[in-house]
Amino acid sequence: MNLTRIKGIILRHLFLFKHSWERVSDSFYWPAMDIVLWGLTSLYIQKSQNQVSGLVMVFLTGLIFWQVVWRGQYELTVNLLEELWNQNMVNVFCSPLKLSEWVTGMIGLGFIKMLGSLIFAIVLTLILYTVNLFSFGWLLIPFLILLLMSGWWVGLLVSGAIVRFGRQIQTLAWAGVFILAPFSAIYYPVSALPFWAQIIARMTPISYIFEGMRKVVQSGKIPIFEFLFSFILNLVYLVISVIVFRQAFAKSKELGLSRLDD
Amino acid sequence: MSKILEVKKLTKIFNSQKRNIKKQFRAVDSISFSVQEGEILGLLGPNGAGKTTTIQMLLGALTPTSGEIYYFGKPFSGTEDPALNKINFASGYANIPSRLTIKENLTVFAHFYQVANYQDKIKRLATEFEVQDLLNKPLTQLSSGQKTRVMLMKTMINYPHLLLLDEPTASLDPDISQKVRQFLLSQREKYNVSLLFTSHNMNEIQEICDRVIFLNQGKIVAEDTPMGILKKMKRTYIRMVIIRGESDLIGYSRDNHFDLSFKKGKALVKIDEEVIPKFLYEISGLGVRYSDIEILRPQLEDFFLQVAKENITECGDKNEPNQN
Repeated sequence: MNLTRIKGIILRHLFLFKHSWERVSDSFYWPAMDIVLWGLTSLYIQKSQNQVSGLVMVFLTGLIFWQVVWRGQYELTVNLLEELWNQNMVNVFCSPLKLSEWVTGMIGLGFIKMLGSLIFAIVLTLILYTVNLFSFGWLLIPFLILLLMSGWWVGLLVSGAIVRFGRQIQTLAWAGVFILAPFSAIYYPVSALPFWAQIIARMTPISYIFEGMRKVVQSGKIPIFEFLFSFILNLVYLVISVIVFRQAFAKSKELGLSRLDD
Repeated sequence: MSKILEVKKLTKIFNSQKRNIKKQFRAVDSISFSVQEGEILGLLGPNGAGKTTTIQMLLGALTPTSGEIYYFGKPFSGTEDPALNKINFASGYANIPSRLTIKENLTVFAHFYQVANYQDKIKRLATEFEVQDLLNKPLTQLSSGQKTRVMLMKTMINYPHLLLLDEPTASLDPDISQKVRQFLLSQREKYNVSLLFTSHNMNEIQEICDRVIFLNQGKIVAEDTPMGILKKMKRTYIRMVIIRGESDLIGYSRDNHFDLSFKKGKALVKIDEEVIPKFLYEISGLGVRYSDIEILRPQLEDFFLQVAKENITECGDKNEPNQN
């Protein structure tokens, strides 16, 4: 691993961020719109059904933390697509930059941008609804790490598919992670799902994180089991996704990287 | 001179399957060649000959089916190989990010290639390529000629020992193409950079290449200096206006197995260049009188056209020259 080359790939996408309104809106505009829309919706539900307490907190926590998963995936997949759109694949991957350095750079970039988006979203939530997500304190850190890990393995799997099949499946770059959303217990508990969906949810590390967060909100207790199980599942999926991505890249080279630029 | 690049029996086979019928396409078929330090080698051939496939394998963007590639005497393992630090490339199928400015793009690539004092290097390149005033402009605002110059700046960012250039002057105006060629020659002069160069422009190849490899259907069909290839095309044409003795010329050509034809009032004789003095002497002796004599020597393009038509049983025998 070479830090200069990793800095190079991070710079490449930070420069783009500076010139691209789409990237700025992806980081700030859409999260803000989600917070406004779903925050007001949950306020309305809470007022009309008095028995539902802490609904706004649960909804907004789910919404904001889901952005972390999405951001982890997005930086890998959309930045890979950016190279395809610019016919820059051969320039990037036939330079001395290694595949592992590219992945590390994208993960680093995702982390930086996630922090920016997250702080913005938490402050906005505090201003609009007086809901303070900083009240999680240090627990925020393991939550974020687990959520990011989930984003990374989904991102690597989708990137592998893009590198193998090209732009014809590019919609997965944005939407790929949403296939897990119904099973991730973002807004409702796993027990609320039908049996078949519960089985899938139990295999999804994200569901343990959101269930754990609800426990923290409701009881203030740290859900060690959920944390550990989520971490182990995430680690297994991350290893599998790295293998899949490397193999997809090798297969893509058998067919020629430049075909992706056409 | 040492070998910068050596290729041994390089082969690429693409497999495809349609309606359960497996097909194989041999894009590059066991080619071997080398590039010496400071040499400019041209890779020529019609569309589908295997030029771009070869360049891509040399870059690591495409995995060979078999064969070996050596850079600086060491085997090349594809992407992530340390040899990539010492080479660079430009091609018609690869662009650089268009929303980034020239300076930003070059900064990124300088980091990839770990260039020390890259800001000075970018300034020097900008002066050399006359884009000092454009450094902070995004590529979307540049003309195609300016973009090509930026691509060439990118290729020079790491002080390469070898440049792989896949049709770098395609779609450029003739004057800009000429500038690019001059630049490449000057880089060779200054830094002893080696070049592997593909092009459809025969004049370009004749102008800058020390040696030429002709590819057709994935195979090397000729390898020599541009002059050497022309010499292999033994047949030259004599074109002349016959003033007197046309029937004598026809008889003489028939008896001596010269291919004679008449076009637009002129006689056209296909002939080996070394036989020309004897031919002219003997037809003069027969009383043939002629004027406006032209000797039409073969050009690299004639060879190229022959290769394209796969009529290479004997160089120069199937096509007439393209001179008018």
